Amino acid sequence: MADYEDDRRDRGRNRGGGGGNKRRRYDDDDDNYGRREPPQRRRQNPREGDNHYAPRREGRLEEPFSKLRRLLINIASSSKLPQTEGEEIAAVLAESWNEEKVKTDFFDVWVQLILEQPFKIPFVAGVAFIVNHEKPEIASTAIERVAERTQEALRAGQWKEFKLLLRFFACLQSLFEDDGIFTFLEQLFDTVVDLQSANENDVVGIELVKIILLTVPYALVAGGPRFHAKAQELLQKTEIVASNTLSIERVIEAYVSDNSEKPIPYYSMIGLLQTQLNNEAESGWEFAFIPRFQPPIPKKTEDGVPPPPGPSMHPFPAFSVPSPVNQGPKPLFPEAFISLYVDQEIETVPRIGDIAGSIIRDSIVDTIDQLDFNRDAVAKFLVELDCYWSVHTFAKRAIAFDRFKEEQKDKIVWKSEDMIIDAIFSQLLKLPAPEHKLVYYHSLITQCCKIAPAAIAPSLGRAIRFIYKNLDFMDLELSYRFLDWFTHHLSNFEFRWRWTEWVEYLSLPNLHPKKAFIIATLDKEMRLSFAKRIRSTLPEEYHSLIPARLDDDNSPDFKYEDPNTPFSEEGKALLHQLKKKAPAEEIQATIDAIHMKATEAGIDDVHVPSTDALATAICRLGAKSMSHLLSAIERGKEPLLAIADRSDAAKRQIVASVVEYWKDQPGVAVNIVDKLLNYQLLQPVNVIQWALGDHLGAGEPLSESWVFEMVSNTVTKVTNRNHQIVSARLVKTLSPEQITLIEEALGPARTSTRDIFKYIEDAVSGFAQGAADKLIEKEALGELAPEDVKLIGVWAKRWHTVFLRKGQVEERVISEDSVDTKIRLLEAEPEPMVEGEAEGEGQGNGVQDANGDTEML
Amino acid sequence: MAPERRIRSTVDRLDKPSSYAGSKNRRRRRDDDEPRERTPDPFDKLKDSTTLYVGNLSFYTTEEQIHELFSKCGEIKRLVMGLDRFQKTPCGFCFVEYYTHQDALDCMKYIGGTKLDERVIRTDLDEGFQEGRQYGRGKSGGQVRDEYRAEYDPGRGGFGRAHIDEYGGEREFNEYR
Repeated sequence: MADYEDDRRDRGRNRGGGGGNKRRRYDDDDDNYGRREPPQRRRQNPREGDNHYAPRREGRLEEPFSKLRRLLINIASSSKLPQTEGEEIAAVLAESWNEEKVKTDFFDVWVQLILEQPFKIPFVAGVAFIVNHEKPEIASTAIERVAERTQEALRAGQWKEFKLLLRFFACLQSLFEDDGIFTFLEQLFDTVVDLQSANENDVVGIELVKIILLTVPYALVAGGPRFHAKAQELLQKTEIVASNTLSIERVIEAYVSDNSEKPIPYYSMIGLLQTQLNNEAESGWEFAFIPRFQPPIPKKTEDGVPPPPGPSMHPFPAFSVPSPVNQGPKPLFPEAFISLYVDQEIETVPRIGDIAGSIIRDSIVDTIDQLDFNRDAVAKFLVELDCYWSVHTFAKRAIAFDRFKEEQKDKIVWKSEDMIIDAIFSQLLKLPAPEHKLVYYHSLITQCCKIAPAAIAPSLGRAIRFIYKNLDFMDLELSYRFLDWFTHHLSNFEFRWRWTEWVEYLSLPNLHPKKAFIIATLDKEMRLSFAKRIRSTLPEEYHSLIPARLDDDNSPDFKYEDPNTPFSEEGKALLHQLKKKAPAEEIQATIDAIHMKATEAGIDDVHVPSTDALATAICRLGAKSMSHLLSAIERGKEPLLAIADRSDAAKRQIVASVVEYWKDQPGVAVNIVDKLLNYQLLQPVNVIQWALGDHLGAGEPLSESWVFEMVSNTVTKVTNRNHQIVSARLVKTLSPEQITLIEEALGPARTSTRDIFKYIEDAVSGFAQGAADKLIEKEALGELAPEDVKLIGVWAKRWHTVFLRKGQVEERVISEDSVDTKIRLLEAEPEPMVEGEAEGEGQGNGVQDANGDTEML
Repeated sequence: MAPERRIRSTVDRLDKPSSYAGSKNRRRRRDDDEPRERTPDPFDKLKDSTTLYVGNLSFYTTEEQIHELFSKCGEIKRLVMGLDRFQKTPCGFCFVEYYTHQDALDCMKYIGGTKLDERVIRTDLDEGFQEGRQYGRGKSGGQVRDEYRAEYDPGRGGFGRAHIDEYGGEREFNEYR
């Protein structure tokens, strides 16, 4: 059809950033790859794999398998039209069909490409579609091979893989007998009904509906108007599931839920998909952005010979949906829609009601997540986004925003850079958690900026400004993620940011989210760099936020050096004793001296001042670096444990002393507390009770980013430990004794985790309701302005949502119910399948990386 | 589809050990007079590795900075700074040990090749730190690469400390160890 009339090379020539010469661009990329290996080696041993990057070796006849692999992997990313490429591949395939390697190994590549490079699925299907006209047995081999892997994914609950493989079939809808994929989609929906009626909080059904809805567009593009009625029928069925809201959805919103100022209302992913498809139905199921293939022009036939009949049809592969359905390796959650650009003045990304937004987003996100093992390649694919969708979907690459505005007046096109950044941020800001570690998304953005700075940077700037503008009501965990990303990102680009833009916020109280963000940003930047350097990147107005003391490389002052500090002599003595590794009795004598003096001074808990002195001395001794600190802890931990074990107040004092000593560099304090937890000098509950008890005052610390960091890190430590216990339980070959042992650990872990979450919720909810005693007291004394009280209330609410969510998410892992369910599922698994198959699935699909050690070769 | 069949990814993986990490093992195997089958796979030692070698650091980069960046991939079990053999000052590399192999792989994928202290750093899987390996192996105590480096690098002590002729045969990746 008309989609590919333009030569892509011509489009390319107009593109900024990358320029038209793709080969040259790859070579540039290759230099980035090259950083991993010294150049000499590359010359000796030309990179053999990944022929995207390596130019074809000239003058040698290429094996059909290698040629096919190269052509297929690079489909749609060269200057040729995909239709032409498809025909070329189909021709080579038909020609070399007698080769064993082509019949078998090539389809490994085929399946792998579907799983790893979702943008290419319609094109891979296009090859099957074209080759079917000449050699239908090739198409049926492809179908068979993809079907095998699909069944495997369905059995194992690998939903992303299942969705991608299913898309391949959707793109071949015109080759299937009867209703093709629609019959199977209906079968899947029947499963959804069963799941949903068995459990009102079921999430697997939601996942399946999402898969169904994301598959339909591709099937309609390939199948044509004949299936419109089928799609309509299916949509009527999914409506009820898609419009339902689960209770957990209240805590996965990006913005504080009951706030009227949020930039976009909450949409669940499937609710939105349903609406978008309904809209598309009204406009005649156009899906103009999805690429299409046309049948090859039949070879000339001699006069009198009738033209060949239509394409050979194939039965749709039979799949069995396992019962019970396997939830998969990770707990599933409903998904919230997030966008930083949608429905703004200028339409740079599809409107909220446009199905294109979801389909393209889904494909970008899968590309990102499936290829996390090579961010350089992902960045390249993303920057080339326009290659993989119909012509005229996007404006020219790297188009300036002002020129884009002009262009948008004539016809609807989107800005591919905005869609890329939007998709990456949708993961960075995904609750409860994205597929990969957050730092992956950081480095992916960095990589995109590196390969197409002129294109990406302006879009990124608009994203940052949008988030900053809406920071006040953003979920606290997300604003922390944004902070972490922003500072890490700047550290990769000489800490360049247009700080003058935010000068106006410097006059706000420190409690204001916009000011608090600036303070936290500078602290985080300094952690990755150093004070003087960061000050040099800032306008004068910001300089007072960086304490002058930090310019010197000195360790923080030791308060006991000041003779006016109570217990000054003993404090100094302890430091000296630690330094010279004095025997325990000597240290104990000093501590006893403190206890005596403290008793005389009428101090209730004498262990508090002695703990303070010893913990501060340890900090001072270890001030030079983390290694120094660890050896200082080793020296002081026995006596410290001896006193701190006597009272909870003393334990909390350890945290207080560390934080006080490092008050200008709270990041160091956060780290030290983390190490002290590892040494079990502290229990998680001590940290939480200090941060949200002793330290909380009238609630002002709720605005301090490092307090949130300390509390979340501590909670994460607890939950990680729980997960270890649970996964130890979920092993098939445990003896009854082992089971008892694990259960004995699991019970108390469960209880103490619940206690911690309860403590946090109780501690902050008083402030959220404005009912905390100290808050009321300070307000009455006029020490807090009414605006401040309001700000504290919002902070507390944001804290509350975060830990309510974390608590609920944790229940999915550790609750009696979910552990039992998983044990039952484990026991129901057929014996021999477990090891071999699980390993096979892990191969190189990027998602199963948890067992990545099989992938080292 | 046979599950044993290894399927190659359609793009390279960034979490593979470098040629150096592999060749190092191979060289040692040749030195030993042990029978070959003792280490059938040069990468075997790295398949559960939790340690990374980190190179191209500035001499001024601190443990805290390294910790701040590398803990984004998981909790750090141990961090060993590379030191000048004589001065006992940082000489531009370190070992980062995680608790899990997966964290080390993620670090290869997500942190290797990004900047720390405004320098692009290099990560490589390592078979694990052993006492002695924290010292530079160059003649003057630092890393070999800093002996002969012709360009001025303010983050790594200025110009190279010796003439390239003396070490002409050495390759850059000999810095490792």
